[in-house]
Amino acid sequence: MTEIMTFPEVPARSPDAPASEGSTFPVTIEGDATPLVRLIGRTLRDSARVGHADEVLGQSVGTVAVRSHDTPQAATVVLDGETVEVTSGVLVEPDATVVVDLHARFASAQEPTGDAALAAGTLRALRPPLPHWREAAQQFWEVTRGIPGIPEVLTVDAIGPDGSERGQFGDGATEYLMAGPPDLLAGVFSGADDFLASLAAGVQIKGTLSQMSVMTAASWKVRFDV
Amino acid sequence: MFDLTQSTQDAAPSSSPRAIRLEATNHEGSLLGKNVSPAKFAAGKEAGFAFADILFAIDLGNEIVLGDAFPDWRGNLYDIQMIPDMSTLVEWKPGLDSVIGDYWLKDGTPVPICPRNLVRKMVARLESLGYAATVAVEIEATLFEESVQEARKVGYRDLTPLGGSTGATYHLARSSDWVDYMDAVVDRLDRVGITWEAWTDEAAAGQTELNLAPTDPVRLCDNWARTRQVMREVAFERGHTVSFMAKPTAGFGQGAHINLSLQSDGVNQFFAEDGPSELMRHAVGGLLATMAGATSIVFPQITSYRRLVDLTGPPTTVSWGVNNKTAAVRAVCGHPKYSRLEYRLPGADVNPYLAIAGVLAGVLAGIERQIGPPEQVTDMAWCLPDSVGVTRIPDTMSKAGAALDADPLLREYLGDEFVDFWVASRRWEWMEFHTKGGDPFAELSQWESTRYFEFP
Repeated sequence: MTEIMTFPEVPARSPDAPASEGSTFPVTIEGDATPLVRLIGRTLRDSARVGHADEVLGQSVGTVAVRSHDTPQAATVVLDGETVEVTSGVLVEPDATVVVDLHARFASAQEPTGDAALAAGTLRALRPPLPHWREAAQQFWEVTRGIPGIPEVLTVDAIGPDGSERGQFGDGATEYLMAGPPDLLAGVFSGADDFLASLAAGVQIKGTLSQMSVMTAASWKVRFDV
Repeated sequence: MFDLTQSTQDAAPSSSPRAIRLEATNHEGSLLGKNVSPAKFAAGKEAGFAFADILFAIDLGNEIVLGDAFPDWRGNLYDIQMIPDMSTLVEWKPGLDSVIGDYWLKDGTPVPICPRNLVRKMVARLESLGYAATVAVEIEATLFEESVQEARKVGYRDLTPLGGSTGATYHLARSSDWVDYMDAVVDRLDRVGITWEAWTDEAAAGQTELNLAPTDPVRLCDNWARTRQVMREVAFERGHTVSFMAKPTAGFGQGAHINLSLQSDGVNQFFAEDGPSELMRHAVGGLLATMAGATSIVFPQITSYRRLVDLTGPPTTVSWGVNNKTAAVRAVCGHPKYSRLEYRLPGADVNPYLAIAGVLAGVLAGIERQIGPPEQVTDMAWCLPDSVGVTRIPDTMSKAGAALDADPLLREYLGDEFVDFWVASRRWEWMEFHTKGGDPFAELSQWESTRYFEFP
């Protein structure tokens, strides 16, 4: 029997509440889910939480195949107007198929097929707006406190066109510094971007090898909830 | 205690080698090491030889494994010492001696995640209870006609089974290419002092089973790792390929059954006239209590879990039974000499040292805590309905890793440091598979063939 896990963090929102307060529709993923299923589930949860793409998550009905453009990763998103369920693979005939770049925040990599409106809506739901890097870093720091070896202090230097801005989260003796463009930092801290890939894209770090290893686990926590 | 000062192997080292090969496994299970000159070996054989700790953090795709907090001894790529166990020194081939070692920290304590040291630790704990373990293994492997270079060119796919494509166990009419290969293997084993008992044609095309003789746990692990090396080298020499992958093709799998008994003053303590002895029952209890977590250890690769198909040979349930080969643990009873447990779970791809350490940890837990076994399965242990109450073996790397992470017994016996390291390394492996090209819905994905066919 398939075990269904519901993200407990998704706040319930009354139908009359403003969109920013969260979603009435739970996003569920199967038990022992793949990283892609986890990534989609977490991303849709983020969208629901900020009221992004409500017209899709709350109203659309259909089955959408989500495929990676460069690996065999695939998942099925089933929307029934009240809930969203994400499972591994594509084992049914979908109403729409989207092919996405998982290294580029679900950017469409091929022309979608099938129900165009459903595909477009799903792609929109998979690309929630990034939070400000400072908000994302604060959330990242809070969510990752329980990981063994996580540095006590996260220092962030956001380096934009107008100069550098620093944020510091937590207190203690062990510190980790991350520096880079604000958008990229927001992507890593929110889980939209892969931490290790971000190092090749402009994020710089200061800390021990062990801390980098732990930060990898921390980034998986926010990106995949593992 | 083990005598580290002189060779006790049946084969002696050569009198004037050109080089000595230092050997040990990391977590993955293949022998790693380096060749050193006789002068270098003489200078370092007591103090040890420096190896980068990164050898415990390299995956089979040459990536650094990340995702856990490194213990203090790892630091920023510190060195650890590999100290050769001189009791293992043999002439490997003319001009080359071989010696197996263990990894130690500079303060003289064992590297906590060193597989060979983990076996030593379990052996010592058994000795403190008054028991000596005797273990043996059945090694399964598949042979292919093509050379490894040819195999690489085709991505290890669509290879030709050596000895023909008709799969049938025990056939003595296999063509001479297959027979000659196995003859060459056992000849090499004889020359390096590894005692084997039997080899035969196994169930699948190209597959063989080679049984190593019972001996003490550390020696058995050494022999097992070296036998794989011999089988690989003989394949290279003869222009063939051998694979210990859990499933080298989509069609069939291969395991590594471990047979175990405990002696006290030379008497088999698993023997009783009327069935399993009380000690055997406790050993079974411990093995089953730790089986879900131990699955992570004895199923180290993504492909390992593809073996878990009912009716195909491997056990699929956390089960035991007297003379029941469909169960995960088969109890062989009633004979003063041959009474033993057969732990049928491991795949051929397992790290020998970690497999034995995991099995001994389960046995120890059962004995020290007097864990009674569940009711034995007297029916077929495959395809059981849920209502029978026999749980299934975790069927994915992530499930097994979670079971190990939560297993207080294996944490106690193998150590938190090892369990944390292993769980993190499997999480990394799982992530690599899913995000770098593996396909969970394929019978066997190319990513797996590329990564696992040659090693361990």
